Formats: sequence, C-alpha cells, structure tokens
Amino acid sequence: MEDAVKLREERQQLFCDVYDNKIPKRVPVNVGLSLNVVAGYAGISGKEALWHPEKLEKAADELCSMVFSDVCVYSGTILLPAKYQTLGANNMKVSNTGFMQHPNHVGFYPEDYDAFIENPYDCIIERVLPRNFKELDTPGRCMFAAAQAMTASNAVMGESMKLIRKLSEKYGYYSAEPGTGTGVYAPLDILTDTLRSLSGMSLDIRRMPQKVKAAVEAVYPLNYKVGLPQKVTNYGHAFFPLHLATFLKEKDFAELWWKPWLRQVTDYASMGYHSNGFCEHNWMRYLDYLMELPVDTQLQFEQGDPAVIKEKLGRRFILTGLFPLGILRTCTRQECIDKTKEFLDIMMPHGKFIFGFDKSALVYDDINLDNLIAVCETVRDYGVYSNPGEKAGEEFHKEDYVHSEVGAFESKYYKTWEQYLEENPNTPESAKDMITRLEDDIVKFVYGLCQ
Amino acid sequence: MLDYEALKEAMGDLEEDVVLEIMNKVMEDGGEQAGQAMKACQEGMNIVGERFATQEYFVSDLIFSGELMNEAMDIIRPALLKSTGESMGKMILCTVEGDLHDIGKNIVKAMLEASGFSVIDLGIDVKPSDIVRTAKEEGITIIGLSGVLTLAIDAMKATVEAFKDAGMRQDVKIIIGGAPVNQAVCDVVGADSWAVNPADTIKMCREWSHAA
Repeated sequence: MEDAVKLREERQQLFCDVYDNKIPKRVPVNVGLSLNVVAGYAGISGKEALWHPEKLEKAADELCSMVFSDVCVYSGTILLPAKYQTLGANNMKVSNTGFMQHPNHVGFYPEDYDAFIENPYDCIIERVLPRNFKELDTPGRCMFAAAQAMTASNAVMGESMKLIRKLSEKYGYYSAEPGTGTGVYAPLDILTDTLRSLSGMSLDIRRMPQKVKAAVEAVYPLNYKVGLPQKVTNYGHAFFPLHLATFLKEKDFAELWWKPWLRQVTDYASMGYHSNGFCEHNWMRYLDYLMELPVDTQLQFEQGDPAVIKEKLGRRFILTGLFPLGILRTCTRQECIDKTKEFLDIMMPHGKFIFGFDKSALVYDDINLDNLIAVCETVRDYGVYSNPGEKAGEEFHKEDYVHSEVGAFESKYYKTWEQYLEENPNTPESAKDMITRLEDDIVKFVYGLCQ
Repeated sequence: MLDYEALKEAMGDLEEDVVLEIMNKVMEDGGEQAGQAMKACQEGMNIVGERFATQEYFVSDLIFSGELMNEAMDIIRPALLKSTGESMGKMILCTVEGDLHDIGKNIVKAMLEASGFSVIDLGIDVKPSDIVRTAKEEGITIIGLSGVLTLAIDAMKATVEAFKDAGMRQDVKIIIGGAPVNQAVCDVVGADSWAVNPADTIKMCREWSHAA
C-alpha cells in the first residue's frame, strides 16, 4: 500500500507539472478502458455489465495489473440503461450487442424555437423531455420515473465509482480532486445532439439561421451554469466533447458554433478554470480558430497531422489524443512500439503533452491487448524527459481574460435560495448550500437528459 | 419548358427555393418533363457529392441535400409514376449490428436512390443473418454496410463471414462505409470495397451494377 501511495504522489506530480506549465519527469499516460471493453475481456455481456459493474472487479483488476496507465485503467461509463430505460428513452438505446448509444432522434421541433428562445429550460422541460422520454409524458408517472432514474443511476454509477476508487488505491492512480471538474457541451452542440438532432440542425442552419443564433444565445446561461465546478483549481477542467463543428461550413461554424463556445471557455478562463475540448473528427481546417483559445486549454484530437498540430498549437495548449487506436488491431507488436516512439518524438518536445489515444475503445475487440500493453509501456519507458521542472511553454494568467455579461439563470422550474427563504422563512442560513445543491442537481440531471 | 441546366445547378448549389419552384412549374405544366427533372436533380446530387469530396461541402450540406432531394421528388412523384428513369437495380443498405447510427446511411441512401438504385434499407443494428436472408430472398448482389463506431468493424466482418457460411460470398459485392473505415479495415473485414464519402460509394455500386 505504501508503494501505491508513493506511486500516486508521483503520478499526481506528473499531471500537475503539465498543468503548471512545467516539463514533467515523463509523459503522463492517460489510458482507460470503458465498461464495455472490460466486460468483453471478462466474457460478460454488455447488457449484463451495464446493470452490474461490480461483476467486472476481477477483470478490471487483472487489466490494471497488465496495462500500464497513470489513471485507472477501468473507466466505467456514464451511459446507463438504469437511467434511460427507466425514463422510457427514445434517444438512447442498448444495441443488440449490449452497447448503449443514441440513435438520431428529434425532440425539439422547428416550431419550438420561439419558446426555446423565450426560456430554454422551461422549453426543455415542457416540450422536449416528454418527447424524448415517454415516461415523462405521463402525468403522475413522470414524478416516479424521474425519481427512479436518479436513484438507479446513482446506484449503478456508485458501484462503478466504488470500483474505480478501490483500484486507484491499490494501484496508485492519479485522479482529479472531486468537485473540480465538470462535463458540458458547446452551446450549439447541446441544442443539436438529442434536441434538434444533427439532421434537424443541418436544415435549420440553412432555413432559419437567425433563430438558431438566438437559441444559442438564449441557452448560454444554462450551459454556463452547468459547466461551473464546485471548486476552481489549476488542475480541474470543464470537459467538452465537441460534436458539430467539423460538419459545418466555415461561415456557419464561425458564427453559430465557435463564437459561443469561445465565449464560454474564455469566461471560465477568467475565473482560472480551464477547459478540455475533445476535438472530434478532423479539425485541421480550424487550427487558426483554436489559437484564439485561452492558454493551457487541453485539446484532445481525434484526427489530423500530429506534426502540424504540435508545431502550431504545442507551445500554447496541452495536447493529447491523436495516437491511432486502430493500429492496435492492424499492426504487429513491434510496429506498434515503433509507431509509439515516432509519435512521442513529435509530441514530447517542450512538454504540454499527455499521452492518449485518438478515440476510446468501445468494445474489447477494438484492442489487441498485447499491443496495448506494448504501447503503454513504450510511452512509460521512452517518454522520459531530460529536463524535468523547466518551464514548458506559454504561461496562463487568468487576468488576461475578460468575463462576459451572463444573464441570470431563471426558470419557473428553478427556485433560488431567496425564493425558498421567502416561502420558508424559518429556514436557517446553514441550509442554503443544501437547498442550492438540490436545485442545481436537478438542473444538471435535466441537462444530462439532453445529451 | 424545363431549364435542365438551371435545375441541375440549383440542386448542386442547394438552392431550395429555386429547386422547389422549378419542380412545381414542371407539375403545373402537366408533369411530362418529370423524368427529365429527376435526371437534372440526380446530376445536381452528383455535384453535391463531388463538392463534399473536395471539402467545399460538409456533412450538414449532405444532410440538407438529402432533404431537398426528397422534397423535390415528393412534388413530381405523381408524374414520375408514369415515366421511367434509368434503373440500376436493387441493393441492400443498413447499419450493422451493434451500431445505431443512421445519418450517414440515410445520406448515402438518398444519393443512391437519386442515382437510380432501388434501395432496401434494413435499418440499424441489423444482424448478419437478416442481411444474408434478405439478399437470398430478393436475389440482391450489392450490399452496403454502414457504421460509425469502431465496434461496427467486427459486425461488418461477421456479415461477410455470414455470406461465406451461406455459400453466397461469390455472388455478392460488399462495400463498407463510415467513420472507422479505411483500406486496412477493409482488408480485416474482407469486403470488396470501402468508402468514406457517398460519391465513392455510388461510383462503386454503379460499376458493379453495370458489370452484373
């Protein structure tokens, strides 16, 4: 156990050095395997494992002992049937092979724009959720379904978190301090994914761009609120999976997608809170835009030329991703090792780099375990710096960023502390945190149903 | 009188108002030129496909083009029933087992239909056995398998194997398409061809159809 504590400290130092703009002793390895991958290794069907992550303990432990990583090799999942099926989800389904995902589904119709612009949260609750979740379209029943979904989700997620904590203690993995990170979407993405859908938004951008623009502006206070952490540190991040950007023409991207996201990331930077964007698909044509982001924004790339990306963005941002998961299946062990070294030669110089794959493995067959082990060990052994502790690149100063004016988040479905106190004047001030957290948890739950 | 070039160009430029106005005019004039109008739209869709391949258009433009094509065809459909366009025969298209994504499949479907194929769309999350059975029952020799997630690769491979097991592999041509697909994946899967844009899919399927 002492070894694990020491390892954890060393690993914490690696990540903190990267986030503190220092060259670390070696490249941190951020490789995790999701619930479905571990289930595949265990020989347990995804359908079963999604309900019982505790059944994966032995397999997850074995994988942790075999695959080198600085974060827990078992990463669980947030897509749980216990939550979605309880609500009768139309926008999230378990496939025949036991993998949960969202089919293209429209919950927000073109005629809903005016209501959405008037109050996004009200519109989501009154119009969108009942279409996306049939149990929420049934008066009376909707109360129980929502309560069950929250309880079931917390229970299953709790089992996964318990396992991650146990393995992290045993193997000394790094994890960010609780409450310092959040998950949120770019404003146009949250409006798109399971609200208008990709197909619906593609039509709206051509037919009614002004409505789209107004809706993106209207959703900002909600989006901003959901992305705020409980505590700001230099090591926590607002994680944004960036969906729609590369599917758009540059003109639409610049006006409708980029501006509101840049605003949100800049607002957070002005508070000292960093963002972590997963640049899905190929962002090579948008590298100049990315240069406008605050220093030390973490950027994970899926596709693109590592040399060009490193050359252009490497001094300003913390880069990760780009290493092709696909080669684990198509290359020999030695080829994987050689490609890992070539990749590190490009990405390591000047620090600001965390090793990670271009995409997460979804099922066990996505990886060849021997090759995965070889790649991770190569990063550990080859990715050693000769100048740890030196300054890495551009320095982040929150004072360089100006917070925009953000309208208050208001809804008839959201009660502020002041409103609560007025209705319940005998409530002590000490209850404020609890009351506020209960309201905010509902906001996050509702927002989570839109992803 | 139908302005063939103007319609083709409007479809290529995704000018919704112009395309729909011309289609309505075709019907007001009695619908005799519906077949020609459809051909102009098909050629316009080819322009869309080419512009996507050269990164002048992006995914959202392709989705819009599919919608526009459907709108245009809905207007002239009553007249089209009386005329015939070039038929490329039937083919199967689906998203493979384990994958629920259908946007890419639907774009390709719209463009294949615009090219004259009669597409049997088996939907999403389709088991290999269902694909083989449909091919057998309908006598279909061109199979398009779509997928977005990496897990689709194994399902594509399983589908190819299912055709082998049924003794039908030599009778069918299989093309795979979607985000995780490349030549190395095509080799692993054992498909006959692969594509990451609709234009290449259509080109390949047309070649196979002409050769059949």
